[in-house]
Amino acid sequence: MANEQRLDLDAIVDLVPPQARVLDLGCGDGSLLQRLVQEKQVEARGVEISESKVRAAIGHGVSVRHGNIEEGLADYLDEAFDYVILSQTLAYLNKPAPVVREMLRVGKHAIISFDNAGHWRARLRALRGEGMGFTLVSGEPRARAITLGQFREFAASVNGRIEQSVLLARKRCMCCSSSLCAWCAEAAVYMLTRATAS
Amino acid sequence: MIVKTQYVTFDQELKLQSGATLGPITLAYETYGSLNEDRSNAILICHALSGDAHVAGKHAETDRKAGWWDEAVGPGKAFDTDKYFIISSNVIGGCRGSTGPGSINPKTGKPYGLTFPVITIGDMVEAQRMLLDHLDIPRLLSVTGGSMGGMQALQWAVSYPNRIRSAIVLASTARVSPQAIAFDEVARQAIYADPSWNHGDYYQSTPPNAGLAVARMIGHITYLSDASMRQKFGRRLQEKEKFGYEFATEFAVENYLKYRGSSFTQRFDANSYLYITKAIDYFDLSQGLSSFAEAFRKVKSRFLVVSYSSDWLYPPAESEEIVRALLQNGMDATYVEIQSNYGHDAFLLEAERLAGLTRDFLARVEKEGVNPPPGADRKSR
Repeated sequence: MANEQRLDLDAIVDLVPPQARVLDLGCGDGSLLQRLVQEKQVEARGVEISESKVRAAIGHGVSVRHGNIEEGLADYLDEAFDYVILSQTLAYLNKPAPVVREMLRVGKHAIISFDNAGHWRARLRALRGEGMGFTLVSGEPRARAITLGQFREFAASVNGRIEQSVLLARKRCMCCSSSLCAWCAEAAVYMLTRATAS
Repeated sequence: MIVKTQYVTFDQELKLQSGATLGPITLAYETYGSLNEDRSNAILICHALSGDAHVAGKHAETDRKAGWWDEAVGPGKAFDTDKYFIISSNVIGGCRGSTGPGSINPKTGKPYGLTFPVITIGDMVEAQRMLLDHLDIPRLLSVTGGSMGGMQALQWAVSYPNRIRSAIVLASTARVSPQAIAFDEVARQAIYADPSWNHGDYYQSTPPNAGLAVARMIGHITYLSDASMRQKFGRRLQEKEKFGYEFATEFAVENYLKYRGSSFTQRFDANSYLYITKAIDYFDLSQGLSSFAEAFRKVKSRFLVVSYSSDWLYPPAESEEIVRALLQNGMDATYVEIQSNYGHDAFLLEAERLAGLTRDFLARVEKEGVNPPPGADRKSR
């Protein structure tokens, strides 16, 4: 996934304050963490499943753990991090709920980005019977199509409270004049925190 | 790179983990590169079971072979001697210049033999600490090693958290498995069974070469992997086309082990093999503690932990166990499992793939050194 194609990275960098402690799950070659170190002087950690990407991330000056995020984040202390990031990875997880629950334990905030399967073009493809089996942005295959509404429901189900949401698109909304809507957002970034027990 | 082995003798006795004392102690060591002005670029390399202080370069131009990790230590290599001051010492208990069972006991004027006290990885590290004091190096940039060398690096991090900024642990473990102990015991039994061993008293007669050779052959089996043996030897016969239906060496793999075994007896002392394998078997950082993570409670350094996929002596799961324990203590642990068919030996053979990792990791340690890692302030929980 080439970075210039990624809509979500700038938005994620904007959400993270300086000097924060950040864990990026599925950090790939570490380029997001490297940006966060350079622009926000964060204390950066990553987890990545591919050996070559782990090596690339270490090359980007990041501390990375070679491993599968679905095999547990249990070893990280409660609130060891200020922000735990899951960018463009949610759709590829076999069981997203336990991972996001752990993110909310390990971090004070969870930042999750994904391509919006509710985008009109994705819906059109689905109507044509082409399904949503690949991402809008990069064309990589994926296991799961996520719409904004589905995500909000999912967040509530894992006891996450949405603190902020950022909708992203290359073009302005076509159906409404002011802001982006669920039909026109190509990608979304959500920031969650653990909902307090009521 | 022409290097010279140096020797230092400490007059004070070393109090060993067993309660016994040992002294005076001589350590053989070599250094490469130069120490910078603020003495902050020193890296200690710890050797494995059969290694020595001669890690890289040659003692003379005419030497047939360079040091045991020449691929990884030198200008521009994994441990860059243009940037870092590299120190390597032979462990106590060894037979390559440091005090060991083959050394003369000054109290008796005779070789120690089995009167040499049983030593531990912790004792080896204690002797290295004396060497660093002697060299006046307050804090190492890093301590590294593979296999038993990795055990020493881990021990350093636990015993002297303020004296190292990072540890690079390769193909190692924080507690030696019963399977690894089992292989060590078979190796020791091979030495005991050799009549020339004579309860360790053989320095005036023929050493137990047959027993030591078998011990080394067993070791080599554990350093390879099924895949690497298939690749290296297959079922190929040695200088033969057909089975001879006899017990002479026939398969290439037999020939390899035999050669490795007998050449080892030229450079290694059987008693040292006994003492060092025993030190390995005792190694368990969590010994006597309520949890494995507790062993790492005092560490302060950053870690690079590397395992090799086909290593079944100290398999990746044992490296992951170290990484998990470090994370449970809120520490910074970089971890990579390198895909390799070379088995345990991969840590020596995959020098190029290691070089990128160590370069990048050490560059970060130099830059960040002082920041506490995430969660470090939460250790009291």
